[in-house]
Amino acid sequence: MKEHFVGFIFLIGLFLIGQAAEPIFPYKYNVKILGNGLKVILIPLESNGIVAYYSITRTGSRDEWEAGHSGFAHLFEHMMFRGTVKYPGPMYDKIMTELGADANAYTTDDYTCYHLNFAAEDLEKVIEMESDRFMNLKYNEPEFKTETGAVYGEFLKGRVSPWYVLYEKMYDTAFDQHTYKHTTIGFEADVKAMPTMYSFSQSFFKHYYRPENVVLVIAGQLDTVKTLELVHNYYDSWKPGYVAPKITPEPPQTAERSAAVSYSGKTLPLLMVGFKSDAYDPDNRKYVAGLLLEQLAFGENSDLYKRLVLKEQKVEYIGSNFSVNRDPKLNEITAMIKSEADIDYVRDQIYMTLEQFKTEAVDESRLNDLKRHLKYDFLMNLDTPDNVAGKLANFIAITGGIETVDRLYSEMIDITTTDIQEAAQYYCVPEKRTVVILKGVE
Amino acid sequence: MKPKTFSILIWGFMLSTLLSNCGSKIDDSRLVLLPVTSDPTISFRIYFKTGFQDDPAGKEGLAYITAHMLTEAATQNNSYDAIIAKLFPLAADYGASVSAEMTIISGRIHKDNLTAYYPLFTDAILKPAFDEADLNRIKSNLQNHLENELKYASDEELGKAVLYNEIFAGTGYGHLAEGLLSSLKAITIDDIRDFYKQMYNRQNVIVGIGGGYEYALVENLQKDLSKLPAGPENVTHKAVPYDIQGLKVTIVRKNANATAISLGFPINITRDNPDWYALAVANSWFGEHRNSSSHLYQVIREARGLNYGDYSYIENFPNGGRRQFPPVNVARRQQLFEIWIRPVPNETRHFVLRATIRELHNLVESGLTPEQFELTRNFLLKYILHYAPTTMLQLGYAIDDRFYGIDGSHLEKFRAALDSMTVEDVNNAVRKYLQYDNLQIVFVTNDAEQLRDDLINNSPSPIKYATPKPKEVLEDDKQLVNYPLDIQAENVKIVDVQDLFL
Repeated sequence: MKEHFVGFIFLIGLFLIGQAAEPIFPYKYNVKILGNGLKVILIPLESNGIVAYYSITRTGSRDEWEAGHSGFAHLFEHMMFRGTVKYPGPMYDKIMTELGADANAYTTDDYTCYHLNFAAEDLEKVIEMESDRFMNLKYNEPEFKTETGAVYGEFLKGRVSPWYVLYEKMYDTAFDQHTYKHTTIGFEADVKAMPTMYSFSQSFFKHYYRPENVVLVIAGQLDTVKTLELVHNYYDSWKPGYVAPKITPEPPQTAERSAAVSYSGKTLPLLMVGFKSDAYDPDNRKYVAGLLLEQLAFGENSDLYKRLVLKEQKVEYIGSNFSVNRDPKLNEITAMIKSEADIDYVRDQIYMTLEQFKTEAVDESRLNDLKRHLKYDFLMNLDTPDNVAGKLANFIAITGGIETVDRLYSEMIDITTTDIQEAAQYYCVPEKRTVVILKGVE
Repeated sequence: MKPKTFSILIWGFMLSTLLSNCGSKIDDSRLVLLPVTSDPTISFRIYFKTGFQDDPAGKEGLAYITAHMLTEAATQNNSYDAIIAKLFPLAADYGASVSAEMTIISGRIHKDNLTAYYPLFTDAILKPAFDEADLNRIKSNLQNHLENELKYASDEELGKAVLYNEIFAGTGYGHLAEGLLSSLKAITIDDIRDFYKQMYNRQNVIVGIGGGYEYALVENLQKDLSKLPAGPENVTHKAVPYDIQGLKVTIVRKNANATAISLGFPINITRDNPDWYALAVANSWFGEHRNSSSHLYQVIREARGLNYGDYSYIENFPNGGRRQFPPVNVARRQQLFEIWIRPVPNETRHFVLRATIRELHNLVESGLTPEQFELTRNFLLKYILHYAPTTMLQLGYAIDDRFYGIDGSHLEKFRAALDSMTVEDVNNAVRKYLQYDNLQIVFVTNDAEQLRDDLINNSPSPIKYATPKPKEVLEDDKQLVNYPLDIQAENVKIVDVQDLFL
């Protein structure tokens, strides 16, 4: 019920810890860039013999700039499990099974992440296997076509959720030019046409699966020197050759947009309000203040949540997700409303809340509570190598490095109530706004 | 022994008995402790021996609501919004989970913040306010879940819910934890007070604490939880599922763009039985959850691209789409062997059922080869290292050990059993516990009548792929297209989605 957006909320939890002078990230790490441009971040941790291995490929659905190819980064994530000349698919699967690794991958708008957890004794084997598939992936056309069927199955599975339908409509409405117009899974027509795109898939691999576009994060029980040596041995021969995608920037929005969408099943109505944001930038004070504004205005401890969810009980759920993205995306506020008659009321309550943040400074103690919350949220969730690497992945994907964590942190702890007010005034204006309402039909 | 010492001992014994009877502290035997000094956090899992099987008829959902009236509602000392405000700076919360036989109130806190957290957590258990407004909110959430989300937003979870409801119909397991739409309306504050008083007592509680705590915390919690009411232990009979004869099919009719399939049957084994580990190896080979090593996955997804994944289970595995590893604290004395086929194109549903049952048939008849066994055993030896990486999960396992009466650690025993296991052990377990003749099958699909006719007529299910397939797959398909399934007309039931969970 409440789970739909929890995955987004933790992201800003990364950035507040301790006092200004302390670094945010509590573990020591080593960064090394190989001659071919591959960046490697090693984070030794006490971990009961487990290692987390993340290959963060800085290509996501954002990079699908050619018409008719939405969803391709995600499809490619699937193809990466199809094997190489040295380790054809079945052999790759067999070795992974022998390793007893927890191996998976996911794709977002900005990146594709391949992650494994495994016993430290298997580190060299994993480095060998991972480097091999990133350098030498090999699959034939029938295998490619079969995998497109699994992707269409995934599309159909997700499509039954009204949240997905709402999200898809929001981005299609809010964006005209930029590739954020489509979701990561892609437009249905494009997903259906995937079986015909075998040769495109090969050029996709050639352009994007290059060392300059990948960051390795290895966390857990490891010897830094030996690990680096192994990385050199297996990755040094990877040839650079990244070709940047030709993404068209989104022109500034000049007027409010709105859309309605229906859902083929039964659901309570959903409302989504989106405001155009800026690209992730820890040096942009307004942007950073916006991340805190989100929690103050719409988080579980916000006045609005308490009024609409607890007191008036007009909504089942209200939540928010402010953009942490490579290019300017949307700051979203989402609500599931118990009665259609209250849609306008809830929308107006969201607007009124934002007006209040524009005109009145938020209480200092609430801002301090938020800073404390973020500190402990961060501390409590770095309990396994997988959580450490997983929490960093988004920021490494966006910026290409780990250093941004400290930079954003130092900016965040400086944020004042006036900054919050100015962020509300800057971002939350009608001309940057898109509103989508979803209703069920059954 | 000197008489004086003896008398002190006797007096000590009498005193401790007296104190125990007065309930001045929860008995040490009810503690599950997992100290991890390097962990800067403290985890709590308070297990009450009650679950949704204890819901009275007509009040289904009562156990679930009662637990959530502790954790998502006001206490006598704080309104719910005040609790949220106090927990927020601590980045902490607490929550409830209710399964058939277990209710867990759990929470986790950084040790810096224990002092502020402790009274909020214990108040939730000891001093619930049971406010009407909180009840209305929780009921509304559940109603939305049953009426909208489960019926329309996740056909896979819907299929699994119907599978369990069909197999356990008429037993305490035979409804969802969240209850029914009608029973939710019938549940009152007084029902909740009575259920709380009856079930949340000192004879039903096990206290789990893990992480970087000081021992004084244990003593405080023992003392504070002794304020729970006295009462009898909740003793229940094991749920007895109905005896499935033949292939029974329930088709949930709805406007579905793909078909979700779940099937299974009760198995008479739980993890306290030494055979369980061998059966777990067979199950891992056949259908390891969300893992491409699953044989079913290889047949249906990898070779044919018909869906997103295909898995099997020998223990209840709720919310499989949202987790990679087995959940803790959903233990139950009666388990199913369950197969989860993720949504397939509607036109392939009959074919996929044939393929699934054919593979189950082959597993039961042929078992694993020595190579398959070795591979799976080696996989599990390392894979189970990932089951409980955190203190909270380790504590969950320790409490499940208590539930099943396992002396020691289930996960350690699992590894030890893998070390000494043979392929014969695995195949004996397969033959002893698995079968393919008597299954409950659930489809969530459109055009239900056509499916029913196809099934009872054993109509061929030719399959046309959008993409080319290897010759061996096409050869295999020739067998599968006409693979006989003995499904009698009287064993096929069609239900409309809107008629579920009423």
